[in-house]
Amino acid sequence: MLTHTTARRPLGAWKSVLRHARQQRPTPVSLLRTMTTQTTPDTPSAVEPPPPPMPAATPKPSPPKPYLHSLKPQRPNTPTRSTFAVYPRVPSSRALTPAPLESYHAQQVRRLDRKGLRTRLFSKANPDAAKPGDVLQVTTKRGEPFAGVCLSIRRAGVDTAILLRNTMTKIGVEMWYKIYSPNILGIEIVWRRPKRARRARLMYMRQPKHDMGNVDHLVSEWRRTRNVFSSKGKAGKGKDASATGAKGRR
Amino acid sequence: MIQLKTMLNCIDNSGAAVVECALIVGQKRHATIGDRFVAIVQKQRGASDAGMGAASAANKVKRGDIRHAIVVRTKKKVQRPDGSVVRFDDNACVLINKSGDPIGTRVNGVVGAELRRRKWSKILSMAPTHA
Repeated sequence: MLTHTTARRPLGAWKSVLRHARQQRPTPVSLLRTMTTQTTPDTPSAVEPPPPPMPAATPKPSPPKPYLHSLKPQRPNTPTRSTFAVYPRVPSSRALTPAPLESYHAQQVRRLDRKGLRTRLFSKANPDAAKPGDVLQVTTKRGEPFAGVCLSIRRAGVDTAILLRNTMTKIGVEMWYKIYSPNILGIEIVWRRPKRARRARLMYMRQPKHDMGNVDHLVSEWRRTRNVFSSKGKAGKGKDASATGAKGRR
Repeated sequence: MIQLKTMLNCIDNSGAAVVECALIVGQKRHATIGDRFVAIVQKQRGASDAGMGAASAANKVKRGDIRHAIVVRTKKKVQRPDGSVVRFDDNACVLINKSGDPIGTRVNGVVGAELRRRKWSKILSMAPTHA
């Protein structure tokens, strides 16, 4: 419904127009298709993770040379020790070695998200990123894909997780997913909230007054539009085409 | 997090609507999805909308009955081995008999997928969806 209105009045929604223009820029085909985070089908055993940054590899600073500081003798006829060595301050090792926890998180993210697509999908710098209030669909290795409105994004390095809420058989179901989990095949934006949510955590959407209810109609509509663009000849098939589109994701 | 005196919705067609937890089977403090507990039927299904006589003919359990039950949904978050977490909006259960077979013949509503791990696949196959 939203897509139709924007198509009719393109100036009515500047945000989506700009987003569309951004996506029209020459980008790789994989990025152009949609904002998805599909993992490559490479086997994890075949590729070795990049070696962790070695903190010992940094050149060890040679011990600083002392210089001799001499005092002017106050009583020249009584011999005193008037010269001693002064050692300069040793540079802090904090500046030289990377923070171990941050580098470890970065290494794990690099290992689990080789193309950086999931990082990009949830990065704050990306204007097209998924935000709280959007409807996302998470496809896992086993079971059906779970779609729901994103209530919050918990940013914690490689443990970054999203909270999705949907209503199934009139019962609210909430799922936390780790976005870098290897069990997750892809995260897709099904529907964007027309206006940015003014909260980071949309826990009020649990209340019946604000609850979105079931998002299946948004998902089915999104599937239909996606099929129109991806397969020209099979668009007329309707139910059958949407079913294969749901399953036959590459 | 089901404990003594917790009231749960019963989502099968055994005839119970609301049950109360009386005891958790096994040395457990709280019951979670897939755990077995002793339930007291507090409210019968159809007692309010249909007459008591009409409802009791189809209902297999009556108010005050003591049965065993399996937790199928909890408000408390349940973590899965892969790190994902599931949480439902209510606490719900399914009544079973002493040998572990469900008393009802159908389950209305979503149940947690933890039941498969806890070897309650009979309940899982009766449910319309699982999350």
